This record gives sequence, C-alpha cells and structure tokens, in this order.
Amino acid sequence: MIIAFSILSVIAVISALLAVRLRNLVHATLTLMAFFVALAGLFILLMAEFLAAVQILVYVGAVGILILFAIMLTQQVTGNVKEHIEAHGALWGLAGATAVLLTLLLPAILKTALPLQPVVETIDPSVRALGLNLMSPYAIALQVIALLLTAALLGAVVIAISPEKSEEEKKS
Amino acid sequence: MTPINPDQLIVQLTQWALSFLDSYPLVAVLVAILLSTVPLVAVFPICFAITTWLERKGLARIQNRIGPNRTGFLGMLQPIADGIKMLLKEDIVPKTSDRLAHFLAPVVLMVPAFTILSVLPFNRNMIPAAVDTGVILFFALGSVSTLAVFMAGWSSRNKYSLLGGMRAIAQMVSYELPLVLSGVTVIMMTGSLDTTKIVAQQQLSEWIQSSNAGLQCLGQIIGWNVFTPWGFAGFLIFFVASLAEINRCPFDLPEADSEIVAGHLTEYSGFKYALFFMSEYVSAFAINGLSTTLFLGGWSGPNIRPPWSDDPNALLIPGFVWFFAKMFALMLVMIWIRGTLPRLRVDHLMGFAWKFLLPLAIMNIFVGGFYYYAPRWHGIPVVGWPIGFLVMYLSYECIGRLNRGPKTAQRVYHYAS
Repeated sequence: MIIAFSILSVIAVISALLAVRLRNLVHATLTLMAFFVALAGLFILLMAEFLAAVQILVYVGAVGILILFAIMLTQQVTGNVKEHIEAHGALWGLAGATAVLLTLLLPAILKTALPLQPVVETIDPSVRALGLNLMSPYAIALQVIALLLTAALLGAVVIAISPEKSEEEKKS
Repeated sequence: MTPINPDQLIVQLTQWALSFLDSYPLVAVLVAILLSTVPLVAVFPICFAITTWLERKGLARIQNRIGPNRTGFLGMLQPIADGIKMLLKEDIVPKTSDRLAHFLAPVVLMVPAFTILSVLPFNRNMIPAAVDTGVILFFALGSVSTLAVFMAGWSSRNKYSLLGGMRAIAQMVSYELPLVLSGVTVIMMTGSLDTTKIVAQQQLSEWIQSSNAGLQCLGQIIGWNVFTPWGFAGFLIFFVASLAEINRCPFDLPEADSEIVAGHLTEYSGFKYALFFMSEYVSAFAINGLSTTLFLGGWSGPNIRPPWSDDPNALLIPGFVWFFAKMFALMLVMIWIRGTLPRLRVDHLMGFAWKFLLPLAIMNIFVGGFYYYAPRWHGIPVVGWPIGFLVMYLSYECIGRLNRGPKTAQRVYHYAS
C-alpha cells in the first residue's frame, strides 16, 4: 500500500511538474495525462474505483484529447526556447510561499489534532449510493448542469456554422 | 472435498493449488494474481494468431484467392512465420521523430487492451478482476487507446501519420458515444455495472435449476438481452460502433492504406508494428467479449447439468467454451464485413455516428425504460415486446429517412457507354 502510494505520488508530482515546465505543448499535454492516470491510481488505492474510472474516462479520454485537438489547431506547437520568463518573479513567489508556509500553515497544522479515523476494510458499492444521490437530492442540480451543457453545445454549433454570406460579399 | 464440476474445473484447481499456500498469505496473493493474469496474456495472443490466419483465409475466400498455404497444413503455421519475420525485422525510427513518444505509443496501446480483458467474466467464478464498476472501467481504459493512436501519429513527424492520428481521434471520440449509450440500456435494465451480475441477469435460474434438460438448455438462452427489442437494437448499435472504435473496416479511415499510406502506423516497423497489430486485435477481442457479455448472455449457452452432479448450478460444458465461441463468431462477422464493405468517406463517417447511431441509441434508452415498466402477463412482456420493437423499427426508419441526402442525378457517361 505504502509502496504503491509512494510510486504513484512520485509519478504524479514529477509529471505535474513536467506538464508545467515542458516547452513543447504536446509533451506538456502527454505528461498532464500521465498525471491524470497516476491520480486515478491514487483513487483506486482509496477504494474509489468509480472515481478512478471517471477520472480516466473524462480527463484522459475527453479533456486531454480536447486539449490535443486544440493544440493541433494552433500554429506553433513548440514555444520559443530562447525566450525565458524573468526569473526574479519566481524568487519573490518562492519567498512569499515560504513565508505563508512558515507563518500560517505550519502552526495551523501543528495545532490541529487530527481525529483518528477508524480503519475501513471494505467500502459498500459506492456507485449505487452515488446514483441515488444524483437522482434524489441533487436531481435539480444535475438537470441544471445538463441544461447548461446542452446550451453550451448548441452555442458551439452556432459558432461553428459559418455565417451566411452578406449581400455585399455575394455581389463581389 | 467438493464434487468435481466440469465447468468449474479450472476454478477448483486454482483453489486447490492456492490451498497449499494458506500459511504464506503474501505468496498466496502473488500467486493468485499471477494465476489470473498469466492466462490472459497467454490465451489472447494465441487467439490473435488464430484470428490472423482465419482473417487471411476468409478474405482470400471472399476475394477468390487461396490465401496462405505454404506453412503447415492449410497455412496454419503462417502466424508463427509472421511473428518470426516481425521479430527479425529492423526497427526503423525516423530521424526527426519524437523518440520517447514514438517508443511509448505501442506500449500505451497495449496495456489498456490487455487490462480491459480482466473485467470480462469468462465463466462462473472465472473473472480476473471482479470489480463493482466493470463496465465503466472497460470504457474508461478503452478510451486511453485514442491517446496512443494520437501519440503514434504525432511522434512520427509524418504528414500521413498525423492525418491518421487526427482521423482516429475524431472517429473514436464520436463513436464512443453510441457505444456507451447502447451499453447504458443494459446497465439500466440490470441495475448494476458489474459484468458478472449482467451475465447472471440473462440466465433464468429457475429453469436452469429444474430437472428437465430441455428447460435447462433453454433457460441459458432465452434470457439473453439480444432477444428483447432494446437489446437487439442495442446490440446492433454496439457492434457497429465497436467496429469504428477499434478502427476495423468499413471504418478503418485512420489507417486507410489507399489514401494515407497506413496512417499512424506508417513509420512503425518490426516489433513495434507487431505490437500495434496485436493490440488492435486484442482490443477487438475485448470489445467483442463485452458485447457478448452485455447482449449475448456472456458465458451462458445451451448447456445441461451433468447427470452425476447434485449441484443445481453445475454445467456439463464449461462456460468459457461458449464465451470464446461467441467471441470468435463476432470476430468472423467482422472479417466478413471487412471483405464485403467498402470504406466510408470521412464526412459520412461522422454523419453516421452523430446523426444516425446517436439518436437511435438515445431512443433505445427510452424503449428500454418502457419495456421495463410495461405490464407483463405471467412474466412475459406481452405489451413491452411488440410495442418496443415497433417503436425501435419506426425510429430506425424515420432517422434513416431524415438522414437521406439530396438525390444525386444519375451520372451520364460520355465515352464509356
């Protein structure tokens, strides 16, 4: 368990860092997907199979592919290698983050007594509970999201349809 | 000692072997994992070899050729010869290619292709990974293959490869919708994402456990989802969408050899190409296995209880025989289609998914819901069946008619006539 957790988290951290740092957009997307897969593995370790499956289905299968599609439609896949971001900002950011960590987060973490959670051997099938929750208490929220997505889809179609040629263009 | 059932022989053998390791739980876990994964990795490549031979022979028969006939009886050793040839070929990697992505693409395709096999129940108690969310895990891992095809197409730095990769993404993302939606009907009717439960729901346990051999046989067949209106339509939609999902003919646009050389496979040679080839077939097996599980009753088939057994669940013919028989039958249909149908045009392909299969699959969900709640007479769906069938047929006709494009004028030949 610990071994699997450490391997997966190391992969997740490294691939997330690479996704931010890599210059080539496609490489960045691919490492981002590796991060998503590692995250799904962590979900499986937490016995949340459904969440892991959805993580892969939505993020790797749909979001990642969408990003790749968008990249393929752009002109320049690789950023200018010679161009560098001014490094001073990063130093200031590091200093600020360290200050926040030392002054706010660490005392808070040390003060809080974490309640001991009971060890869970097995978790009841979570999909049924999830479905029941989606269908009864959160039904309206689900409908609203569905409506929003449908509207977004229709909007995308409207944008994608090429506008009809105006009278002047037809004449010329 | 439990009585020996022919259909449970392998399961019982496994349990017997594992019983020696009771005192070493860690080793037992390791051995259990190996016992459930090694057969998958061993059996499916063999199935792949058989299928390549079947495909070459079948296509040859359709095209009035002889096919492989030099290696062994009827050319049956051809897959082995092919394998040796592939292994010995030089692995050529284009100079400008993205080395790592080019190397990883076949691996990324291979791993999910084999992993998704583990959620399929091959027999009673014979499922490598009995997870609660089997079907959704199958679709999730299956969607990773899109990424692999893109990686292959992009990393080759070849225009044809990139075109193939983009075609593959567009096609696989589009056809995933009707594929999943036609599966949703079955999940809805079963009320479970568990593949074992989906198979169990398609068996009439009362008939199977009766003493009449005919009823035992029929009880294993009559409950298949394909015999209901929503199941029949769902099976057809699922099958067509799965053809597109695994880039088989007539939806093999990503590797259309007459247009874009071999698409994403253009710059692959040697063993990497063999890996692509194999994972393509393994995912074909996996998706046929899933459609067998969802619509064709999984491992159940005409079967009787062995006369010497008292166990009401015992069966004479092991379930995996039926499973593989159905899987290969679907494979043969795929080969048949490959030999018969021409390739679709890109816009037709997209239109077919979005304008025809998707509305039909959504309609199918409604029909499934109606069938579920329609009144029954002694458990027989006298209302749901005919009305459901009629609705499905009418919506098929209507959507088909709506999709019919403007009639093109007959072509006039000036010189040929």
